[in-house]
Amino acid sequence: MSKMGWVWIGFVFMLVVDAVIPWFALTHVQKMSGVFAFWLVWVVVAIAAAFVIVRNWREVK
Amino acid sequence: MSTSFWAWFGIASYIIIGIGIAILARRRMGAGISDFFLANRTLGGFVSCMTYSATTYSAFMMIGLAGLTYATGVGALGFELTYLAGIFMLVFFLPRFWLAGRKYGYVSPAELLTDRYQSRAVGATAAILALVFLVPYGAVQMMGVGYLMNGISGGAIPIFAGILISFACAIAWSRIAGMRSVAWTDAFQALVMIVTSAVILGVVVHYLGGFGSFFDKLESTVSGQLAVPTSRGAWSINMFIGLALPWLFFCISNPQVSQRLFVPKSVTAMKQMLGGFFIFGLIYTLIAVLWGFSAVLLVPGLEKADMATPALLSQPFIPVALVIIVMVGITAAAISTIDSILLTLSSMWARDIHRGLLNSEVSEARQLRIGQNWVIPIMAVIALIFAWWAAGKSGLSFMIAPLSSAASAGLLMAVPAIFGAFFWKRGTAAGALVSMIAGAVVVLVFQVTGLKPLGIWPGVWGAIVCTVLFFVISFVTKPPKEKAEEFTSYLKEKLTEGKFI
Repeated sequence: MSKMGWVWIGFVFMLVVDAVIPWFALTHVQKMSGVFAFWLVWVVVAIAAAFVIVRNWREVK
Repeated sequence: MSTSFWAWFGIASYIIIGIGIAILARRRMGAGISDFFLANRTLGGFVSCMTYSATTYSAFMMIGLAGLTYATGVGALGFELTYLAGIFMLVFFLPRFWLAGRKYGYVSPAELLTDRYQSRAVGATAAILALVFLVPYGAVQMMGVGYLMNGISGGAIPIFAGILISFACAIAWSRIAGMRSVAWTDAFQALVMIVTSAVILGVVVHYLGGFGSFFDKLESTVSGQLAVPTSRGAWSINMFIGLALPWLFFCISNPQVSQRLFVPKSVTAMKQMLGGFFIFGLIYTLIAVLWGFSAVLLVPGLEKADMATPALLSQPFIPVALVIIVMVGITAAAISTIDSILLTLSSMWARDIHRGLLNSEVSEARQLRIGQNWVIPIMAVIALIFAWWAAGKSGLSFMIAPLSSAASAGLLMAVPAIFGAFFWKRGTAAGALVSMIAGAVVVLVFQVTGLKPLGIWPGVWGAIVCTVLFFVISFVTKPPKEKAEEFTSYLKEKLTEGKFI
C-alpha cells in the first residue's frame, strides 16, 4: 500500500479511538484525568503526526 | 464611569483601529479579481495562519463552546478537538488545493469543482449550498456579539445593537480591500482574541486557587459532567457523532476556510499556516472549554447557557478594563468570521453563479462590482435578519454551537464531490450534482422538522445519502476522462516534487 494509504488508515483509526475510548472505556471515570485528559493526549498525538508529515514538504517550481 | 460607557469606548477604539488597518491594506491592493478575493496568492505564513485561525474561530468559541461546556460538560471538548484533529486532513488537501489553485487560477473552491467535473452546474450548486448554509453560521456570530455586549453592560446595550455593530463592521472590512483587508484585520483580531482570553482564564483560575484547586472543585461539584454520556443525559454517542461529523470536515467543506488554502505565497508559508493553526487551535479550544467550566463553578443556574461567558465576565473580581478588552477580543473573533464569509460568498456568487450560470461573458471588473456592491450587503442583511430572529429563541437547537454545527451539516454535502475531485478519477458531474442536492434536501428537511430517525442526527443521514449517491451515480454515468487524467497527473507530478503525500 502507498504511504498515502497508510496515513489515511492511521487517521481513520484515530477517529475510531476518539469515540470508542470515551464512550466504552472511560464512561465511568468522572475525573479530569478521565475523558478530559484522554482527548487532550489524543489530539496532541494527531498534531504531532501532522508535524512529522509536513516537516518533509519542499518548495515546488 | 459605568461599564456600558467603557464597553462603548472599547468598541469604538476597536472599530477605529480596524478601519485604519483595512485602509492601510487597501493601499497595497492591486487590480483584478484574484487580488481582491485572494490577495493575489501572496500572503506570508504568519498572516495566512492568523487569517485562517480568525476565520475558523469565531463567537462560536468563547460564547458558543463555553456555553456548550457550561450546559453539557466535557463532551464539548471532545466535539471541538475532533474538529481540530480533522485539520490533519489538510496534510492531504492543503497542497492539492494550493497547487491546483495556482495552476488553474481558481478563485473560489466551487470553481475547482466546476473545472474538475467540467460542469458549471456543479460549481453553481456548491455555491448555492454555501449561500444557504452559511447564513445561519454568519448569523450566530452576530448573535454572539449581541449576547456579549448585552451581558457585559448589564442589559444597557441591547442585543440588537451588538448584532448591528458586527453587521456594519463586517461589511466595511470585507469591502474596503477584500482578502487583503480581511487577512490583515484578521491577523490583528486573532492576536487580540487569544491574548485577551488567555489573560481572563489566568485571572479566573487564580481566583479559584490555581489549576489544582480548580480541577478539584470541578470533580467535587460537577463530576457527572466530566464523563460521557453525562449524568444529565447529554452527549449520547449519537449526539456526539451528529455534532462532530460536520465539524470534522469543516476544513474542506466550509468555503470561507478552504478558500484560504489558495492564498499562501509559498510552501514554507503553507507549513507555517498549518503548524501555527494547530497550536492556536489547541490553546484556544482549551481556553474556551475551561471558561465554560469556570462559569459552572462561579455562575451556576443560568437560564441561557450562551450567557455563561458574559456572566463570567461580569464577576466583580475581574477588572473592568480587562473585561472590555476581552469583549473586544470576542467581538473581533465574531467579525473576523463574518467578513470572511461575506467575502467568500461574494466571490462564489460572482464566479460560480453569475459567471457560471447567468452570463459567461461577464468581465472581471463587473464580477468584482457585483460581489462588492450587491452580494456582500445583501447576504449581510439576510444574516442580520436571521440573527435577530434566532436571538429571541431558546433551547439547544438555538444555542450558538448546535446552530453552527447545523450550518456545517449542510456544507458537508459537498465533501464526497471534493474527495472525488482529488482522489477518484471515476467521479462524475452527475454524481456530484445529485449527491449535493439530495444530501442538502435531507439535511434541510430533517433540521426543519426536527426528525432524527433511529436517533441519528440530520448531518449523518445527509452524509450517508450523499456519499452513496455520489458513488452509485458516478458508476453509471460518464466521467470527464481527459480532464480527470490531466488534473490528477499534474498534481501527482507536483506532489512528488514537493514531497507531499
